[in-house]
This record gives sequence, C-alpha cells and structure tokens, in this order.
Amino acid sequence: ENFTTVYQLLSEMVDSGSAVTTDTSVLRGLVPVPSLVDRVIENVSGIGIRSEKRPDVNTSSTPWRSQGIRHANNEFFVDIVERIDAIVGADGSVVSYDVSGDISCKSRLTGMPELLLVLNRAEAMDDVAFHPCVRANKWQAERVIGFVPPDGQFKLASFHVATDAAPRLLPLHLHATVSRQQDQSHIIEIAADAGQSGKRPVEKIQVRVPLPAQAYNIRVQCKAGTHTVSNVRSPQVEWSLKSLGPTERGARLTIQYLVRASSATAASAPQVLSPSPGSNQSALAAFVDFEVAGYSVSSIKVDSLKMLVESYKLFKGVRYVTKAGSFQLRF
Amino acid sequence: MMNATIQTKIAQFQIVKQKILAALRKGENYELKTELNSEYKERRKEAVRRVIANMTVGKDVSGLFTDVLKNMHTDDLEIKKLIYLYLINYAKTQPDLVILAVNTFVKDAEDTNPLIRALAIRTMGCLHVQEVLDHLSDPLRKCLKDPSPYVRKTAVMCVAKVYDLSPAIAEENGFVEDVRRALSDSNPMVISNAVTVLTEINEMAPGQNIWRLDSKTVPTLLAAINECVEWGQIAILEALADYTPKTEKEAESICERLLPRLQHANGSVVLTTVRLLLKYEKYVHRADLLSQFSKKMVPPLITLLSSEPEIQYVALRNINIILQRHPKMLSKEIRVFFCKYNDPIYVKYEKLDVLVRICSERNTEPLLNELKEYAREVDVDFVRRAIQAIGRLAIRYESSADKAVKVLIELLQLKANSVVQDVVVVLRDVFRRYPQSFADVVPTLCEHIDYVNEPDAKAALIWILGEYSEHISNIGNLLSTSIESFLDEEDEGVQLALVNSAVKFFLKRPQQGQALVLKALQTATEKCANPDVRDRAYIYWRLLSADPNSARAVALVEMPPVELESASLSASLLEELIAELGSVASVLQKPAKLFVYKKTDKAGVPRDSEMANAGFDSAEGGATSAGDNGTTGGIDTSNEGEPELLISF
Repeated sequence: ENFTTVYQLLSEMVDSGSAVTTDTSVLRGLVPVPSLVDRVIENVSGIGIRSEKRPDVNTSSTPWRSQGIRHANNEFFVDIVERIDAIVGADGSVVSYDVSGDISCKSRLTGMPELLLVLNRAEAMDDVAFHPCVRANKWQAERVIGFVPPDGQFKLASFHVATDAAPRLLPLHLHATVSRQQDQSHIIEIAADAGQSGKRPVEKIQVRVPLPAQAYNIRVQCKAGTHTVSNVRSPQVEWSLKSLGPTERGARLTIQYLVRASSATAASAPQVLSPSPGSNQSALAAFVDFEVAGYSVSSIKVDSLKMLVESYKLFKGVRYVTKAGSFQLRF
Repeated sequence: MMNATIQTKIAQFQIVKQKILAALRKGENYELKTELNSEYKERRKEAVRRVIANMTVGKDVSGLFTDVLKNMHTDDLEIKKLIYLYLINYAKTQPDLVILAVNTFVKDAEDTNPLIRALAIRTMGCLHVQEVLDHLSDPLRKCLKDPSPYVRKTAVMCVAKVYDLSPAIAEENGFVEDVRRALSDSNPMVISNAVTVLTEINEMAPGQNIWRLDSKTVPTLLAAINECVEWGQIAILEALADYTPKTEKEAESICERLLPRLQHANGSVVLTTVRLLLKYEKYVHRADLLSQFSKKMVPPLITLLSSEPEIQYVALRNINIILQRHPKMLSKEIRVFFCKYNDPIYVKYEKLDVLVRICSERNTEPLLNELKEYAREVDVDFVRRAIQAIGRLAIRYESSADKAVKVLIELLQLKANSVVQDVVVVLRDVFRRYPQSFADVVPTLCEHIDYVNEPDAKAALIWILGEYSEHISNIGNLLSTSIESFLDEEDEGVQLALVNSAVKFFLKRPQQGQALVLKALQTATEKCANPDVRDRAYIYWRLLSADPNSARAVALVEMPPVELESASLSASLLEELIAELGSVASVLQKPAKLFVYKKTDKAGVPRDSEMANAGFDSAEGGATSAGDNGTTGGIDTSNEGEPELLISF
C-alpha cells in the first residue's frame, strides 16, 4: 500500500544501476513521508495535502541539516554503546575478545549549531568511522569531533577499541562443565558470577544454550533467574536473570538431557558423534547477552561537549552502556 | 467412449473459464479506463495508483496507455512520477504513442520546480526510443547548464543513456564534452556523477579513448571526494585507481590524501581505497610509506568483520586476495578470525582459510587449540577442513608438529566416524613430512583401526603401517586381515597400498613378512581384476625374486617432501583481481571479463573488457550476490539502457 513511496524512494536512490543518494535526511526532503494524518485528510476532503507540499532539494554544504529548524528546549544527548565480542572457554579462559562501539546522538537544537565533542581516550580507538557531518580534518589534526548535527536521532561514529589499549575486562564470568551420568544422560552446568563491571549491576542477562538435535527428556534447574525450554527448530534452553549485583555469586543453571542415537543419517544432515561410553559430545556453545548501564568497558568517556556558533543554553546528557555483542561460552 | 466425452467436456470448460477470466480482466481494465477519464481528480489519482499496482504485479495494463497519458498534465508530483514510471515500462511496446508524451516532457523540462525538471530529463533518458531522442537534445543541453545542481547531476546521468542508445548523437551535440566540463563543477555530486558517466562511456566504447583522467583533473577530484556521498566517492576512487600517476610524488600525495577514506563506514569505500593503495604500490617506492599504508589498512578490514555475515563474506574473500600480496599483514590479528559458533558456514570456511594463511610460528599453539575445538563441530565438511588445517600447520612449522600430532591423536580418540577418517589421512601426510619421528604414536593409531572404513583413510593407514612396520609388533596380523579381504576392496588405492606395505614389511622384517608378502603378491597377480595393481605386483615379485637389494632401493626410498599449501592464485591473476578488489570479481575470484555480458553481444560471448560498474558492491544492505559460495554463471549486468524502475516479481 505504500508502494508509491517505495517507488519514489527507489527512483531517488538509484539511477540506472548506480546508487545515487542514500542519506535518509536528503531522501526525506525529496520524497514525502507517508503519515496517517495526511492520508486521512486526503481521503476525507479530496485535497492532496501531500501533493501541494513542494519538496525541494537541499544542495547546501550541509545536506543532512536543513535551515530554519526550531526547538523549544535545546537539548543534545550522547549515548556511547560498547559491545563486547568474546569467546570464552569452558574453564572461563578468554579465547578471543574484542570491543567495538557506537556513539549515537539525539539532537534537538535550533538553527545551525556547530558542536565539538572531546573524548578522554581518543587514541584507544583504532578504527573510527564517522557520520558524513563530521569534519575529517579536525579529527586528523586534533583528534576531536567537530560536526554540525543532523536533527533527531543519528549515529555519530562507530569505533573499534584497539586490542592492546584496554585490559580484557569481562562484566560476567561464566564457567561450564559437561559430564555424563551413569544412565547415559548428559549434564551441562553453567555458573555465572559477576565480574568487573565498574560496581554496576549486570542486567538483562540471557543465556541461550542450544542442545543437539537429538536431545530429549530435557530437565532444567536453575538457582536464580528463570528458565524456559523451547523446541522451535532444535531444542534449546534459555536462562534469564534480571540482574546480577557486583558482588553476587552463585547463579547456576543445570541442564540434564538424553540423546537419541540416530539411526538414519542422511549424508548432508549434521553427523552426530556416536555416543559411545566415555566420548565427549560435539562442541556446543552458549550465547550470552547482557547489559551494564552506566559502565564503559573501554573507559572511553566524553570529556566535554562545546557548542559554537549559536548562543543559547544547551542541555546536554551523556549515557554509557556496555552490552554483550557476540558473546559465546564454549563447552 | 466415456473418456472421450469427459475430455471434450473438460476442454469446453477450460475455454469457458478462459473467456470468463478474460472478460473479468477486461472488466477491470475497462473499469480503470473509466476511472482514468473521470472528472474527479482524486478518482483519477486513485486509478493511476491502481494501474501502477497492477503493472507491478505483472498484469497487463498496456491497453490503458492513452488514458494514462491524458493524466500526465497534473500538478501532483506523485502522480507524475507514477505515470512516468508507466511510460518507461511500456515505451518499448508502444513507441509511436510515446511521441504524444514528448510535448509534456519538454514542457516539464522547463518547469520552475527543479525536481520536475530533473524527473523529466531522467524519464526521457530512460525511454530509449529513437524518436524521443531527437526531441531530447534541446532540453538536455539546457539542463546540463541548469542552475540547480540536482538537475545538473541528473542530466549528466542522462548523457550516459543517450550515449548508449546513439553515440553519434551524443558526440554531435557535444554532450560528452559537457560532461567533461562538469568535472569542474562547483557541486561535488555533479562531479562524482560525471566521473561515473565518463567511466561508463569509456566502457561502452572501449576502442576510442573518450576520456582519460589527467593530472589537471586529479586535484579537483581529490578535493571533491570528501564532500561526496559514499557512492560518488566509490566512483572517484575507482577512476583514480585506474589512473597512472606521472611522478612518484604525485602517487605519494594521492595516497596520503586518500588514507582517511579507509575510515569510512561504507565497506565498499574501504575496499576501493585498499584497491587504490595496492595498485599504487608499484609507483611508490619509499619503504616507510608503504609500510604505513599497510598498517593503516588493517583496522578497517577488521572492522568489516564485525558486520553482517554477507559483508563478512565479501570482506574475507577480498582479504584472501590481499593476503596473497601481503602475507604478513594480519599476523597479529589472528584472534579476530576465530569462527563464532553461529557464523554461517560460508563465513566459517573463509575464516578457516584465512587463519591458515596468516598463522605464523608464534601463533601455532593457540590456533591448534582453536582448530581442535572446530574439529568437534557438527558440520562434517568444516570438520574435515579444520583437520586438514591442523595438518598444514604441522607440515609448515616443524616446531608445531609435536603439538599438532598430539591434537590429532586426541581427536582420534573421540572415535567419531568422519573425524577418524580425516585424521588418519592427515596423519599420513604429517608422517611423510617428518619420517620416523612419530613412531610412538603409531600404536595408538593401530588401536583405532576398526573405525577406519573409508577407502582414502584405509589406504593412508596401510601406508603408515608399511612405513613403521618395524615398530609395530602385531603388524603381521593387521596386514594379514586386510590382505584376506584384498579382493573385497573396491578401491584400487587401497589395493596398491596393501601391495606396497606388504613389500615394505617383508623388506624390513624378512622372516615375519615372507608368508604375508607371498600371499599378497599372489592374490594381486592372480586374482585381482585391476591391471595397475597386477602390474605393480608383478614388478615387485620380479624385483624381489631377482635382487632384494634393488627392491629395497625401490620400495624403501626416501620420498620427496610433501606440501599442503592453500591454493594460491597465479601472479597475473592476482594482479587482475587486485585491480578489481571490492567488486564481484574479487569475491568470485575470477576477472570480470569472464563473466560480464553486455546485452548487445552475441549470447554466450562475454565482453572482453573490464567491468567497472560502480554500484555493484555489497555495502550496507547486504547484497544477495554475496550469499552463494563462489558459483559461476552468466551474471547479466543491467546496463544503462535498462529502465531503472522495472520491478517485476
């Protein structure tokens, strides 16, 4: 039903096989955004409100920001979200560890302000990609971010923390043990303890344990938190903990299950290692998600945010969040 | 009798059904026709929308051409765009009727709203009808000099379409010259579009040198590149990559100006910049600069690996090529390439390949541990590659051989069927590389002999038994059981291996081996069907009977060292692929001329020139072409002549 908007967008974005414009703010100026109000008015009164607004193209030197923007309260919020991509072995040792992050901003500013954002540890970032609004030469020369912000929500920069710049801090310490009982059932035990998280609680912890396809009779017990067993495409257990305080220990999850010996395996189906006594089962990994609000694992913080050009008072806010990116526990 | 009547009834029913459907369809089109001619603007608008909707879904609405055309004189931008889309779609089938529309186009090209001017020019360019072309020249000429940069940039793109249709007209009217002049335009969008167009025109006329980037234009392009949109940047980067700098200083300054492009968020910009830097390496001779460039290339490539799997795949294929030029570039970053559990399998294969390439002597230990984890995974193919990777590392780095063999034996003890086969094959290669070094391992190997059932693995195991026959006590039994079932072995590799090993055993331990080798040779020569096996058995027999010493010289000779290196590209192919880094060619690892077809060529004959289609990369949005694992095929690039909005489901 929105195909007219889709067509217009496509025709602006691509011209005969070469991409032309994909910047959302420019496109918003060229193609009218469908909204319920406009549609209702159009249907009721037959007047095409949309058609009468003549979109015009913005060819100024700041195509992401049009002139004449006004807001009642001038505010600017910065969110630094960092993601930890890590692979942790069963004994808790860190196999690989990587931190990357984004600086997202929400800007509600009047006029055409110029902002200067200074970070405390700019040299810890070894690969930074900026929004086109950022002045590249200022970053090259002084390592500060000078920019004219687009209006609304946008991603200012995404960066990667140099591997040797920060120690490998893990907000959550996990261990896993795998064993077999006398009755041939497999037992997986996962323990979660709070790690280094700057004295903030680790929240929204979710551990997802996929089990082998031939698993059945799955019994789960957890000490702290809730668990669910699902079997959408293959069995898996999900363990959620609302939060784990900085000194809490002792959260445990125990999964016990049996494995069917597969009789018919097609050539392309994943081969299950034959469960002969004493053999290890195939490699499994649990996927972990968590969030630590107010903590920056790379300790990159905003030093200052100054505004030039405009003269009104600016309300600023900064937030830090560390999340789990692709965080896996191998066992 | 009954059958015949039933069949005729069915046929009649089909005919009636067709008629009803046709009437219904005609009814719908008829209904649309009346709506299109209605006096109420809103109903006409709604009708146009429905026509386009039908067209998109594939229903035929070409009969409504004239009625749709009547609606063209409207102030509503949205409707105008839709009608133009309709015209582009059906222009080819009704070229005479399109002429009627030309007047409106020409008028629109002088409209006060720049968007409408641009729309008119673009649509006229896409129509691809010869008659329209004659009327197009005037408006196009005016629009190329239009005050609004938006119109200028669209007009520039239109020149490419005109050239495609008729190069003569484009040249006569000086359009190409206008585009060349647009390279010094004030607006960077226009400049980048001009670069795209000139590059494409170069493609269309490979013989004539329409445009060569010269050193005067280079500074303008470099200045414009920072202000361009990402796609424009790619076009300029590609043009610069093809340029040959006149002096070393010029090459150095171009590279330094473009280093910041490596930090762009768009993966295609990054890869095209890498392409440029690699190509300019032959012009820049200062070693410190070259090493600086290499160092700067590393972080952006690593960042590309944290994106979606499709982008990871493209990045990995390109990194594969880059590593063949700079093998040591990524040695410190080996952990980045470790496979995550939930990576799609195509990404895992590529990561494994890269891991083996970049491993250096220091990294072997962590990598071997990692490979051991991979060998426990579910996918059989991946496990095989992981085990082979362990073998490669062992062969490449002598210091890691011990650990590697230990890992392989641990894997063997998992007693998983496929793992055992692969491990045995790899162990044979490792033993061959380091003869007589791992004798203590062989007994453990023999314990698992029952699990070995694939022919390759069996042949490998028998070879090992033959080589180490002096170390194994019960080798006589092991070999004799195999020889019992000699004739049951279908694979000639196994039979040959048995013959070889029997001979070796005899030569090393004459007493114990005598009966065995006699039996083996007898079975091979008398009862075996395979001529190769028989011949070899005869040779051995005669050798042994005539002169055991020369037999020793033949059978127990030291073998040439084995290499298990990853497949490498030839030097010339590597050059070509680096010149196309960041495009589909580098992902498929075949130069573009092998799979690019121009639609005017004879079917099946690929173009003989390089494809330079700027927008063909998979950057944000994840291209679908990157999903498949290097399949070949005639990929039809849609040339500038294709109408851009022909969306068919």
